[in-house]
Amino acid sequence: MKLKLSWKIWMLIVFLILSAIIIAPSFQKGVTIKSVEKNSTAYDEGLRTNMIITAINGEKINNFQDYTNIINSIFPNATTDTATASVSSQNLSKLNNSNINKTLQNNTSSSNKNKIKLTITTKDSDYILFDDIPPSITVGDIPSSRIKTGLDLSGGARALVKAENKSLNANEVGDLVAITSNRLNEFGIADVTVKPVSDLSGNNFMQIEVAGATPADLNDLISQQGKFEAKIGNETVFVGGKQDITYVARTGDQSGIYSCSAYQGGEVCNFRFAISLSAEAAQRHSEITGKLGVNATNPQYLDKQLDLYLDDKLVESLYIGKDLKGSTTTQIEISGSGTGKDQKEAYTEAQNSMKKLQTVLITGSLPYKLEIVKIDSISPVLGKEFTTNIIYLGIIVFIGVAIVILIRYRKIKITLGVILTMFSEAIITLAVASLIHWNLDAPSIAGIIAGIGTGVDDQIVIIDEALSSGSDTRSLKEKIKSAFFIIFTAFFLTIAAMIPLFWAGAGMLKGFALTTIIGVSIGVLVTRPAFSDLVKLIIKE
Amino acid sequence: MEANQETSHEHHHSKSDWYDKWYKPLLVIPVIIMILCLAYIGFFYSEHHTIMLRDSSLTGGTTITITGGNIDTVSLGSQLKAQFPDVIIRKLTDIRTGKPVSVMIESSATPEQLKPALEKVLGFSLTDQNSSTEFTGSSLSQSFYAQLMIALVISFILMSFVVFISFRTFVPSMAIIFAAFGDIVIPLAIIDFFGVRISAAGIAAFLMLIGYSVDTDVLLTTRALKRKGGTLNSRIYGAFKTGTLMTTTALVAVLPSFFIVTALPDSFRQIFFILALGLFADIFNTWLTNASIIKWYCTRRRIE
Repeated sequence: MKLKLSWKIWMLIVFLILSAIIIAPSFQKGVTIKSVEKNSTAYDEGLRTNMIITAINGEKINNFQDYTNIINSIFPNATTDTATASVSSQNLSKLNNSNINKTLQNNTSSSNKNKIKLTITTKDSDYILFDDIPPSITVGDIPSSRIKTGLDLSGGARALVKAENKSLNANEVGDLVAITSNRLNEFGIADVTVKPVSDLSGNNFMQIEVAGATPADLNDLISQQGKFEAKIGNETVFVGGKQDITYVARTGDQSGIYSCSAYQGGEVCNFRFAISLSAEAAQRHSEITGKLGVNATNPQYLDKQLDLYLDDKLVESLYIGKDLKGSTTTQIEISGSGTGKDQKEAYTEAQNSMKKLQTVLITGSLPYKLEIVKIDSISPVLGKEFTTNIIYLGIIVFIGVAIVILIRYRKIKITLGVILTMFSEAIITLAVASLIHWNLDAPSIAGIIAGIGTGVDDQIVIIDEALSSGSDTRSLKEKIKSAFFIIFTAFFLTIAAMIPLFWAGAGMLKGFALTTIIGVSIGVLVTRPAFSDLVKLIIKE
Repeated sequence: MEANQETSHEHHHSKSDWYDKWYKPLLVIPVIIMILCLAYIGFFYSEHHTIMLRDSSLTGGTTITITGGNIDTVSLGSQLKAQFPDVIIRKLTDIRTGKPVSVMIESSATPEQLKPALEKVLGFSLTDQNSSTEFTGSSLSQSFYAQLMIALVISFILMSFVVFISFRTFVPSMAIIFAAFGDIVIPLAIIDFFGVRISAAGIAAFLMLIGYSVDTDVLLTTRALKRKGGTLNSRIYGAFKTGTLMTTTALVAVLPSFFIVTALPDSFRQIFFILALGLFADIFNTWLTNASIIKWYCTRRRIE
């Protein structure tokens, strides 16, 4: 049999090949680096985002579980979260528990002895790290294809935020987005997207999405305005942000937890880190301290303290050394503490407060007091189960439709044609979705299935028009033309029905509308013309 | 007429006669169903002051989903009721294995209030490994609901435009629009009857229904008005054969998410549930309502 394919069928084949290239399933083993903390050994040695780690110290790494197992066996004291599939290593402590009771100075000298050699093998080369702590990187499993799944399937959190008692315009939301993404970045949350969204009534929101497991303090980080003020009496010496603070130490000797002790039946851990003030802020410091006297009970200090306020709440009061009186110092040490029922809890608490404070000092305060109006956090475990089930569902739908078509037409070729077309539509829709970096959530996938459903309907119309006989004297071409009138009307009806969803409800259901529209468009433009030619071929035979 | 020559043609004729005689009375059935549904929705509105019950994504509040679900929901409910009188607990069970898949706890409280209380009753803590939390503020959810309702109306109007532009005749276009209206009203009445709480995704499904369910009406109208050859009845019957196959395959695509694969995201299941109801309703609305109106219209216009 000589099979001559029309250009429409060729076009479908080309689209399918392109889609396969776009989706490109990956069989690569290893873990991918999602983020590298700057000022870390890992960064200095040249490890970067998107590199693929295949082995550590010669031991093969196939997935995230392998990575955590190896890191845990090398650094048994470090706290890693092993339970999640794509947890970030922000839980890996910068200083591990064995160092807690040492002072900052001792810490550095002693840790030299504990340094462990780590050979990290990536796809292209080896990196050798000497360190006493696990590498400051975030890793995750390599995605098996370029299809991205949304929150409800991959797990993670999404928040919709607006200003309290104020409606923001597009520019204000833009500023807010810039500061917030900076803040989340500085805090070290990987895989986060912050973007402005608006709804039908013209309200503007900021939407934050974090993939994978989410840090417990995300809520705080987003909603805290982060207004930091250092005051002596009621005079402000400096505030958070670039204007007053030129540098915040976050690694090395100048930052860390330096002591832990028993406190009121629990434990307390103290942290400190150094910051540099700008010239103006140093000048203010000099003027304000110049007016102070010496503390009567503690003569080595001045009589007023430096009070640190975060969002108008006093978080810490620091004594000021008497030699700092009137000096235009640019170096200030910030300290604070964390408490808990045991040392580990106090340590983690102190570490989190330190990190939050550092983040706020670097990024400055948000221009508005914020309110979280919607927050969803989806368990990655549940998401994984859903994904598997959706794949099952897809297979069942294909088989079901095939059976119905086979029973009705009793022709294997037509049934195969229908299934092939359905399959092509699904593949091309997925490819388009990954091309525009659309995260497929549950409604999006429902949209794809609904789109395929309409596709099958249209194919049935084509088959029935083409096969119509008896008193119908039209040529095959005319019949197909008449089928396409029905198909195009149905197409425009679907588009018309779905378009309002692009804006309603801050675009929460945009995915559903988008994938449906992509699906039916591909159907009308690519797969149905090809299918009608296929039907012509089958009938002529 | 010779008795042994009862051909399919004749058989067809007797069916045709039957339809000629009965198409007008047949119209009464969907009209009665429609009136009953509208009356029920009206009654529902007078009882609940809303045309549909909504879940926490549209009324404001928190939904916590616990994976696994080996939980005594009855005692959980009674213990939570004291503190959260509006709490609603649902258990999702895998139909094939009968194993509980997850438990959903819904209340208008915030996660900060609901979570600790829940943990206390359960005796274990809720992490992002064993649970999911969804919270929507009440003013936002009200505005979402209002917007989705507006979207529904806009969608309906746009659909009507497309229908009028495509067919450019008043009665057949109105017949399609009337059928589409029925495709929304009947599922809504059923949902109200069963007390299903609609989520944002559920309303999106109603929009989808507007576009999806009228396919068969478009098919019918095109075949009846635009195709040449054959009698009107044979064209309608041909459209009926094609259309019911379309609806059948659509239902085959939509129904497995209830009967075979049950552990799916709630939004997903709700979209498919509403589509399934709409497709069922569409069988009546297309082949009783719309077909009768088209037949009537064609007979008066002498389109044969």
